[in-house]
Amino acid sequence: MPPKERVESSEQVLQAVILADSFDERFQPITLETARCLLPLCNVPLISYTFEFLAVAGVQEIFVFCCSHSDKVKAFVKQYGKSSNMKIHTIVSQECMSVGDAMRELDAKQLIDTDFILVTGDVVSNMKLDKVLEEHRARRQADKSAIMTMVLKKASPQHRSRAVGDGSLFVLDQSSKECLHYQPVKAFKSTRQDRRMTMGMEIFDKHPEVQIRNDLIDCQVDICSVEVPALFTENFDYQDIRADFVHGILTSDLLGKTIHFHEVSDVYAARVRSTQMYDAISKDIISRWTFPMVPDSNLQPDDCYEFRRGLVYKERSVVLSRTCVVEEKVVIGANTQIAENSVLSNCVIGKNCIIGANVKIDNAYIWDNVTIKDNCVVQHSIIANGAVLEQEVTISKGCLISFNVIVGANTTVPAYSRLTTLAEDEDDDSDATLISDPAVVGATGRGRSFKEAEVSDSEDEEVDPKNKLVNRLAFDLSILELEHQALNDSASDFESEGSDSEVDTVNPAEELDREIAQTLERAFKEGHDIDIAALELNTLRMASNSNFHEMRKRIIPGVLRNIDLTAKVGSGNTVKEVLARWGPLIGKMIHDEADQVDGLFILQRACAGLHGDISQAQKLFAPALRYFYDVDITEEDSILGWYHSEKSRQGTETERKLRDVATPMIEFLEQSSEDDEDDEDDEDDEDE
Amino acid sequence: MSKNNELVDDLVAKLKRRQLVGSSTVSQATLKLLIVVISKSNWTTCNQLVTIVKTVGQRLVQANPTELAVGNIVRRVLHVIREEFHEAESTISHKNQASTSEFHAAPLTTSSSMYNLLGETGSTPDKNLQFPSSLRSNIIQEIREIKDELENIYDNIKNQASLQIHSNEIIMTIGRSKTVEEFLKMAAVKRKFQVLVAESAPSYSGQEMALELSKAGIETTVIPDSAVFAVMSRVNKVILGTHAVLANGGLVAISGTHMMAAAAKHHSIPVVVCTGLYKLSPLYPYDEDTFNVQFNPDSVLGFEEGDLIDKVTVTNPYYDYVSPEFVNLFITNQGGHPPSYLYRLIVENYDPNDHSFDL
Repeated sequence: MPPKERVESSEQVLQAVILADSFDERFQPITLETARCLLPLCNVPLISYTFEFLAVAGVQEIFVFCCSHSDKVKAFVKQYGKSSNMKIHTIVSQECMSVGDAMRELDAKQLIDTDFILVTGDVVSNMKLDKVLEEHRARRQADKSAIMTMVLKKASPQHRSRAVGDGSLFVLDQSSKECLHYQPVKAFKSTRQDRRMTMGMEIFDKHPEVQIRNDLIDCQVDICSVEVPALFTENFDYQDIRADFVHGILTSDLLGKTIHFHEVSDVYAARVRSTQMYDAISKDIISRWTFPMVPDSNLQPDDCYEFRRGLVYKERSVVLSRTCVVEEKVVIGANTQIAENSVLSNCVIGKNCIIGANVKIDNAYIWDNVTIKDNCVVQHSIIANGAVLEQEVTISKGCLISFNVIVGANTTVPAYSRLTTLAEDEDDDSDATLISDPAVVGATGRGRSFKEAEVSDSEDEEVDPKNKLVNRLAFDLSILELEHQALNDSASDFESEGSDSEVDTVNPAEELDREIAQTLERAFKEGHDIDIAALELNTLRMASNSNFHEMRKRIIPGVLRNIDLTAKVGSGNTVKEVLARWGPLIGKMIHDEADQVDGLFILQRACAGLHGDISQAQKLFAPALRYFYDVDITEEDSILGWYHSEKSRQGTETERKLRDVATPMIEFLEQSSEDDEDDEDDEDDEDE
Repeated sequence: MSKNNELVDDLVAKLKRRQLVGSSTVSQATLKLLIVVISKSNWTTCNQLVTIVKTVGQRLVQANPTELAVGNIVRRVLHVIREEFHEAESTISHKNQASTSEFHAAPLTTSSSMYNLLGETGSTPDKNLQFPSSLRSNIIQEIREIKDELENIYDNIKNQASLQIHSNEIIMTIGRSKTVEEFLKMAAVKRKFQVLVAESAPSYSGQEMALELSKAGIETTVIPDSAVFAVMSRVNKVILGTHAVLANGGLVAISGTHMMAAAAKHHSIPVVVCTGLYKLSPLYPYDEDTFNVQFNPDSVLGFEEGDLIDKVTVTNPYYDYVSPEFVNLFITNQGGHPPSYLYRLIVENYDPNDHSFDL
């Protein structure tokens, strides 16, 4: 094996570019103090996994792009480079704000002269790239316009190693291995743009058979040709490699470039994109899916992990007390001590940690030099270097405890807290002193809770806050749903028993609620014409891809809410006046018989919902029902249908009483149509 | 020296990344590296050289502790070094004796292993004895002999095939072992017999083995691993390959071997293990997991089954530990030995000071 220096640079030196910066803030406040790529993942810095992955691929020269905390990255790379036979260069560029900027910089410096591998500094993968490279080169030989090969890994959409909310939809041609269209998928499709995919029809001219797939992990391992950086320079507005570059290239008619893909199965590949992914990938490493990149292969030169049954990895110098319980899936770093009766499960503990007696640690990631005193409980959280938990501290799930935070005795840190010791205003480097927040870290603690900087800059696209939330550690989608139900105004109470509040629909529903409420309010206030109001509402309906039922569910209560039962005649707010003025709007939302029945159910619920007291509610319900009948919003048959249906008899007491309110009217209706309807009576009898 | 380091780093990295696996490949690579290290580095005394080799050996062994052959080869080399020095020393002291006619206390200089057993070990030559320059080349020469031995290992083993396998026997084996493959092919030249191969899930290396054997014209049947016990009663002999042989005669072999050996014992069917001596390790298994490797669970449960992998723990151990009472005979390149004789081979091939690489 010749030493690498001897390799002539004119020969094909395999080069790789690592983007060590993630250009996002998901690990804050921890990443305020160190670079993302240096965060320990199973006690090994993240970027080591990427280096290892590239080394296995036979890469000889690596360029590491970094901007934030570049000094730390540089120092690490220097240290790493000593023991590695790859040439590793660090490129620091402070004004680099995105992948696009990094690529433009790369082009400007002319560092790359062959096809290269582009990865981010947070890739964990055990795949071998030789086949992909071979394929890419062969394709380049045949067709110069094939500029990029993306490596995609197959995994079902709900897979734990897929970043929630960072999905991507690919349109692929299996025969030519060409990617035809790309669309990012968000967890909450709040804007119209997110919900639709527009694809050029001309794709089908050249590709008779295409696949549209959502079962691929995009771990952003790309084989790029030299033209890629140049293309970024040409299109100076490209930021993201996928959303802008791939999308741009594929939709451009002028460039005539093609992007290909290589699908891998039976190997591991994932990116630590968020705290949620950090959790998932740590578990994958512990469960050995990344083999041979597992703790007991000792990626770092001075590590010496041993594998034990139950997926426990322990350094030789760990001191375990006799009665402590190390359950399964645990990694314990060098010189860590664990005292009596502590229970560890599914967790990673760094080097030189001291863990007291009766501590319970589950699902947590504890980094180096952390002290946890007696009787603490830590659940599903990340605790960074040097943090101290005094006695009887409870860390609830989803917390990020940043460097050197001290949590005072007998404190409970609430779920999803983010604690830091950095002073409030980190922008100006004036030595602002830290004001500890005793409410969060206890009386003797040190630290404050970190608030995410509001993205108020000229970000052209607003990010749905919920899409940010889903990436968090220990995030549970059901919580989000619960929160939403609490937040939603009374409208959501009307959701029928088939409340299909799926994750996807929660958000549009809420959006629709708000929009309709606003439209109605505007209409009431400004006295819009019925037709205009109906038009506006219909537009909303189409925009949100909703149906008339959803509209009725919101509009009927909306109108009823406008009624003031105590108002005097002439004020415009009595039942009659409001119905006369706005009733037709409801009519616009009701078409066939099914709609009419449905409308009545909604009316019943709405009245009961607005006024819990039956005497109030019936004052609203009776005239409204009468009105519906008079102006033929609902026909006789529908009213009867509603009255006799099982559903109208269910619900709250007020709702049931409201049905009784309608009885005189029903009797009247039934008398008038006695001749042709006989079977009604039977049902009435059963009712008694 | 720096070049040496680079080569060591390179091999360490390859072992760590499992780019080099398999006892035979790693032992050849180790030997090649050690020849370079010994010939390129500066040393004058035995201790110096032993330290150099041990340091390299320690790094290599740590890189992949489950490739026991690496350690074995390093120990063999150390043994050779010690012997060569011993010899050189004795010749020098003979000369000294002749010149000064002073009695020198080293009459038992034959480096018989019996001598070591009696406890006086490591009488490493000290002082400022001037060793002849031929010493370096002698050592290299000896190591080259080990290298030759490694290269001819299959020949030496397979030549014993016709002694072990008789006509119309039914042989059972598991996994793919180059040694067993050569052994059976050699036997097939003279004899006609039938081979049953357990498929060895989840690696299915048994299937490859069966393919190779059938290409050589041997009547081969693949059976599922679960059927091993059922068909064992019809078998005349079980022939196994192994990843390593431990000091007590136990095996570290592909998973499924223990089950096959136990089934054979139940039916009182002889179990024969074919192995090169380089796989014989002086280490002792303190528990069944010590020398095992847990592989990627992917081959047991596909990673794509996303919803499931959260809820289950999948382990995929690659090796089995088979305790020595299951084995009847070892066929090595030095002939056939019962498990109880292995201690002797260990003493002959390795110096007790080298069992651990701690300095």
